[in-house]
Amino acid sequence: MVEIMHSNILELFELREHAHAGGGEKRVAIQHQRGKLTARERLHLLLDEGSFEEIDILKVGRGETAGGSESTPGDGVITGHGKISGREVFVFSQDFTVIGGSLGEGHSQKICKVMDLARQVGSPIIGLNDSGGARIQEGVDALAAYGEIFHRNVHASGVIPQISCIMGPCAGGAVYSPSITDFVFMVDQTSHMFVTGPNVVKTVIHKDISSEELGGAAVHAKKSGVAQFVYPNDILCLRAVRQLINFLPSNNRQKAPILDLNDPPERTDPTLDYLVPPNPNQSYDMNVLIYSILDAAEFLEVQPQFAANIICGLGRLGGQTIGLVANQPAVLAGALDNNASFKAARFVRFCDAFNIPLVCLVDVPGFMPGPEQEHGGIIRHGAKLLYAFTEATVPRITVIVRKAYGGAYVVMNSKHIHCDINYAWPTAEIAVMGPRGATEVIHRREIEQAEDPDAMMAEKMETYRKHFMNPFVAAKRGYIDDVIFPRDTRHRLIRTLQFLESKKSGRPDRKHGNIPL
Amino acid sequence: MFEKILIANRGEIAVRIIRTCKTMGIRTVAVYSEPDFRSIHVIQADEAVLLGGARPSESYLSIDKVIEAALATGCQAIHPGYGFLSENPVFAEKVAAAGLTFIGPPAEVIATMGDKIAAKKLAVIAGVPTVPGYSEAVVSLEAALTAAAEVGYPVLLKPAAGGGGKGMRTVDRAMDMISAMRLCQQETSKSFGDARIFVERFIRRPRHIEIQVIADQHGNVVHLGERECSIQRRYQKIIEESPSCALSPALREKMGNLACELARKAGYVNAGTVEFILDEDGSFYFLEMNTRLQVEHPVTELVNSLDLVELQLRIAAGEALPFRQHEVSLSGWAMEVRVCAEDPKRGFVPSIGLITRYAAPRGRQVRVDAGVDAGSTVSVYYDPLLAKVITWGENREEARRRMVQALNGYHIEGIFTNIDFANLVLTHPVFIRGDLATDFIPTHLLGEGVKITAPLEVLHAMATATTLIYHLRENLVQTSLLPLKSRVGASSTVVKGNYEYVAKSDEDIFPLRLESTGSELLWRVLIGEAVYHVETPPMEYYRRRLKLQINGEVAYLRLKYSGNFIEVAFCGVSRTFEIYNRREWQLARYMPPPVTKVSGNILDCPMPGLVVDVKVTAGERVFRGQEMVILESMKMESAVSAPGDGVVESVCVQPGDAVETGTVLVHFKKD
Repeated sequence: MVEIMHSNILELFELREHAHAGGGEKRVAIQHQRGKLTARERLHLLLDEGSFEEIDILKVGRGETAGGSESTPGDGVITGHGKISGREVFVFSQDFTVIGGSLGEGHSQKICKVMDLARQVGSPIIGLNDSGGARIQEGVDALAAYGEIFHRNVHASGVIPQISCIMGPCAGGAVYSPSITDFVFMVDQTSHMFVTGPNVVKTVIHKDISSEELGGAAVHAKKSGVAQFVYPNDILCLRAVRQLINFLPSNNRQKAPILDLNDPPERTDPTLDYLVPPNPNQSYDMNVLIYSILDAAEFLEVQPQFAANIICGLGRLGGQTIGLVANQPAVLAGALDNNASFKAARFVRFCDAFNIPLVCLVDVPGFMPGPEQEHGGIIRHGAKLLYAFTEATVPRITVIVRKAYGGAYVVMNSKHIHCDINYAWPTAEIAVMGPRGATEVIHRREIEQAEDPDAMMAEKMETYRKHFMNPFVAAKRGYIDDVIFPRDTRHRLIRTLQFLESKKSGRPDRKHGNIPL
Repeated sequence: MFEKILIANRGEIAVRIIRTCKTMGIRTVAVYSEPDFRSIHVIQADEAVLLGGARPSESYLSIDKVIEAALATGCQAIHPGYGFLSENPVFAEKVAAAGLTFIGPPAEVIATMGDKIAAKKLAVIAGVPTVPGYSEAVVSLEAALTAAAEVGYPVLLKPAAGGGGKGMRTVDRAMDMISAMRLCQQETSKSFGDARIFVERFIRRPRHIEIQVIADQHGNVVHLGERECSIQRRYQKIIEESPSCALSPALREKMGNLACELARKAGYVNAGTVEFILDEDGSFYFLEMNTRLQVEHPVTELVNSLDLVELQLRIAAGEALPFRQHEVSLSGWAMEVRVCAEDPKRGFVPSIGLITRYAAPRGRQVRVDAGVDAGSTVSVYYDPLLAKVITWGENREEARRRMVQALNGYHIEGIFTNIDFANLVLTHPVFIRGDLATDFIPTHLLGEGVKITAPLEVLHAMATATTLIYHLRENLVQTSLLPLKSRVGASSTVVKGNYEYVAKSDEDIFPLRLESTGSELLWRVLIGEAVYHVETPPMEYYRRRLKLQINGEVAYLRLKYSGNFIEVAFCGVSRTFEIYNRREWQLARYMPPPVTKVSGNILDCPMPGLVVDVKVTAGERVFRGQEMVILESMKMESAVSAPGDGVVESVCVQPGDAVETGTVLVHFKKD
């Protein structure tokens, strides 16, 4: 049997076996000890069973490392394509067991090849990052290699969904590829991202800090806003990537898939009539509304731990994927601050790029006041959200749930920046500002001169409340298309999305706008 | 008969009374506090009157406001329900003085029975046996110690005023008396303005048996059999039933007659309950008489086919009882479970908030008396009782099975409830045997060293349900993506009929094999050696209740899925299952154990409530277990103790503050 086979076929068997072995048993065991799966095991879980097709399996490193003696199967990265729930995606998975997954010329060429293919065929690209960094021995070639990837990331942006999973170290220049992609997933405890590591920090600013404290998953999920999703281990992380992909179209020319979860569009929820508390100073949880209206109560929240005063995420209405942006009155009263504006703006632009309709649930008392915010650039950051909503051409629907005050009302996808349909609950309060602030401005004299200023204040506030703290004034002016019963919200949204399905809205001819980045 | 009455109560009992009034054509007036303005009892009554603020003293306990409301709306009578003003003789008196009818016994009788010492004296006169105890109430610690020494330890401290177990404490040793007395008196003097404590012998393994009596204004007194309320937690009843396994017809007659005798001696009118404790040897002792409608009255109603509220109204209106004792006979068995807003997984702390989803069980011989619905808000100010589920069966086992199934299908979301805990009791072999005692819960479920193992068939059903829903949901995604998939080579897709998964929950791991039988609704499920034939309904993923037929038997499960993690509750067991496909399971062994974040140097508030007292100050050294902050929530007071030895850096709350779960109470100094 063996004798009659062509020797090249036998060699192919050997070469493949060699590639599949990765960095060898010892290194694989170390990878497992660290609670990490190998590059191949990760692809095995990410993709549908048996669907992975490898590209460049035979490519090896230039052989400059460790005097050229070390074997570098696949040059430290596995690339190819496979299926997620039956749909094609392109993947690369860095192999930490092979020279630390370090990135050099060949390694980069492999990644660039699948990125080019992904863009040409219009399929998502998913990168599983686990790399020690640039392959120093390759010098400027290694730097050029990064640049090639960045270039492709930028040009694929808005064309195909790009997803990065940080499943090990990701340091130095390497961080910029993930940061350009649409979503960054991190694995708690085993992944780290920073531009300069703890050693450099120690040398330069004489500060002792651990990798975890400097750039662990928790830091990027809560403080920096770099990571959109964090999961406790590799298995959960890769499952979540599959879940995200199932929400998305494969490219910007497609619409997102329709998933019928057998949830009646006309389903009403009487609880919503009681959601907004009678006391305007009392908060409530916006998640109750979100989980009530979405199909089968399924919601994939983006950056849940970062700027929790705004909720962004993907869900479905009538089977169609929608991007949901909602103020969260339970956190900072739902006010817009720097982080919230940035978080929502980026999410809105992602949805617009990939034809995902936007649904906005508003309860916003305004922008967050104070020097911290002003000096931090709330003017710049707030403008991003304003720009992002205004620029979006996908179907845009807004429901004002309670407060919609001042400039923040306008920014939150209002009729004035041309959302398609703007509904309000009867509990909505659309005004320039809250009753106290307004009364203090309008009736300052009268209150000062009154015998009982407190009573006068209360009286004037009550009058203001009666006249302005409702959706009816705005509805009479046509700024609100309809005041809807809370329990019917789901049905009304689905009906609106139905007729907006064929919406066409052109953009002016220009190279691109100048979003205040 | 009355044309219009006022109901001086809230929640399920107000709703319950309104229901009977409607069938009798009596108009109803509800009263409510500010936070209750959208409650069901307010919506269902013909009229409603706002009493005042959230605190009971500003609303439901305000005698003058309630009477004023009744007069203003032209009511002829007031039904007090249970709790609140129902056993307040001053209220009964003032109602009568205002020219209204109090639906309940005369004020003097309430006063007598409300005073444990007077009630006990009356019981002795009526020939009803009483618990060995010290005949006088004590106020001081010294007196309590003397009394306890005379009666013999263990002793029970009982407030002279009040009921429902409020303020009661057991004391095993003299050295524990100080703290027990202090807590007991604090609670009672605040609630009732009466610091007197009654000391009596504590009887081990007693059953709680009570006799429902009813008397009209014409001297007729009958009893309607007993209720067994032995299943209690901290003196709060959870499960009640009628009749009781412990009573022979002869004993029933004896206890019933004595209860009637006591009612006669007291000059009792209307519905009342005589509570006894029944010792293992069959001897029984008088505990107290409740001069109101009991929470658990429906079990008596079901076995007697009577409406007790209707009888109360007729008697109050002067009508005679329509039957005599010899016409009373009990038929079948009834059981009741009290559904409360509390979290059994966190020491039964009260649970408050908006009820976001609500689906009550329905079915033959299942009755639900509920005071809440989707959209109701549960607050810290009132009793945690949300609803009662009552089932009836030809025999005890039938009633019990109906109850288990009813609770399996009772879905309440937004707050935690004791529904699954109650089912844990109902499915316990000792409960099934009927071997009850008031220490059932600490002995068999919550005591130290008690390990409850879930029956394998229950876990199998849960694993099957969770895996099926996960599989079908995943499959749906595949089909939905068809239009977007490549059409090249699509025809070669082979449909595989068998699927393998691993369902993991805590330490339990079940490898499952799902075999399709050609239909999406019929499956053969293999778990190890076991084979199940399962029929699912067409999946509606927004629903949280799933009705499966497993080997021909109907099972209701509650489940909530979020990706591979599926929470499921069935027959008292509530778990989260994680579903792994075969490939994931092979690699799962490499995954590190989850990191448990160590809490810092802060003391979190374990439950929502009001701060009653702060017992430490900044800089103070505290030891593990020392009481630091006293909270009141849903009428119960409890202490938050120091988690370890340390020094207090700052105290973040003060008495009167409303706090939520997770509010920081105390900061400790870092060592």
